[in-house]
Amino acid sequence: MRKIIAILLLPLTLTLSCERDDICSEETPTTPHLIIAFLDLTTITLENPKNVTKFRVETVDDMRVLDDYNGANQTDKVVLPLKTNDSVTKFRLYKDYAISNNGTPDDTSDDFITGNPDIITISYATENVYVSRACGYKTTYKNITITVEDDGDNWIQVIQPVNDNQTIENEENPHFNIFH
Amino acid sequence: MKKTRILTYFTSILFLLLFCVTAMAQEQKTSSKKTTDTLIIKQKYGLRLGADISKPVRSLIDDEYKGFEINGDYRLTKNWYVAGELGTEEKTTANDFLSTTAKGSYFKVGFDYNMYNNWLGMENMIYSGFRVGASTFSQQRNSYTVYNTDQFWTPQFTSEDIEKVSGLSSVWAELILGIKAEVFSNLFVGIQAQLKYSISEDDSASFGNNYIPGFGKTYDGSNIGVGYGYTVSYLIPIFKKNK
Repeated sequence: MRKIIAILLLPLTLTLSCERDDICSEETPTTPHLIIAFLDLTTITLENPKNVTKFRVETVDDMRVLDDYNGANQTDKVVLPLKTNDSVTKFRLYKDYAISNNGTPDDTSDDFITGNPDIITISYATENVYVSRACGYKTTYKNITITVEDDGDNWIQVIQPVNDNQTIENEENPHFNIFH
Repeated sequence: MKKTRILTYFTSILFLLLFCVTAMAQEQKTSSKKTTDTLIIKQKYGLRLGADISKPVRSLIDDEYKGFEINGDYRLTKNWYVAGELGTEEKTTANDFLSTTAKGSYFKVGFDYNMYNNWLGMENMIYSGFRVGASTFSQQRNSYTVYNTDQFWTPQFTSEDIEKVSGLSSVWAELILGIKAEVFSNLFVGIQAQLKYSISEDDSASFGNNYIPGFGKTYDGSNIGVGYGYTVSYLIPIFKKNK
């Protein structure tokens, strides 16, 4: 009798302990990034990518840097994360980012940043779409407008969406173009 | 002297003969008893009613589960039983990104086939069964947090807006493998494993069916489900029939 009870209880404990949550696969497209391509202003065609040299992206408020764009490299496109719990995301985009040591390499207190910063403001409406049990919901974006703060010396000359009524639902193609 | 000896001789012979006769007579009696008193094993037929005890036990242990199921079977022939279950379940499925609650009731009908050859006087079962199950249920989304592989901006959007869809239904087929043992007279305990195949599933809730009462947990991209049961049931004997 005791043996029977033990056998009966075994699968119960197994099923209670082994019920794992499904894991969201990395291949599943979830919340997309905003992708902006950099194009050559002088030709104003969509076929001429133009690198931004020493490109850096950081947040406006607390100057957190995006790891992929730390100012050391050049790039002809940028992939930006948008806030899912807000309808506005701002970034400071540097061209030719550098830190000048002010002639005193041993003293970092008087260092200053050189380069051309432009602040972009991305405003949008979010829509949350169910993906799957494991991934839950993703956010997609629509009614997107991107404005550049005029600082008198903007390196971003023209910014325009790739399509009319541009939405951000996937990461297959750039969503906006920046001419510089 | 001689006379008495002869007398004892004869009387002892007579006694011996008598014993012999009685002995023979007894032998004959026992053999005749065997042929007339052949043991007839009658098996009990009737309605067996019970409940799945794993469901109330799990309701106590698991905060995210409430369930109850009664079941019954009726013996048709030596090995065939018509069987069914009736139950309700409420289950919350939650991970870091999504929490949903399924609530509803279900029934299952089908047959059990006893594959076990019992010893005389025993009525245990090792059985295989087939069921068709149907359930009606509601799905409720309790909360979700947007899934984002990029955690540069935190926290992600979280919604506590409850969305509920009622009147959903599902139909499935089920294969059962189980045992039932008579632990006391007419009282049976059993354990069974269930393999289910979803035939139709109303998934009009925008967040899908993570759990279907009766069917159990669903899997993305698969119609298969699994389940188990621990039954305690009591046989109401209605008539007896020769084995």
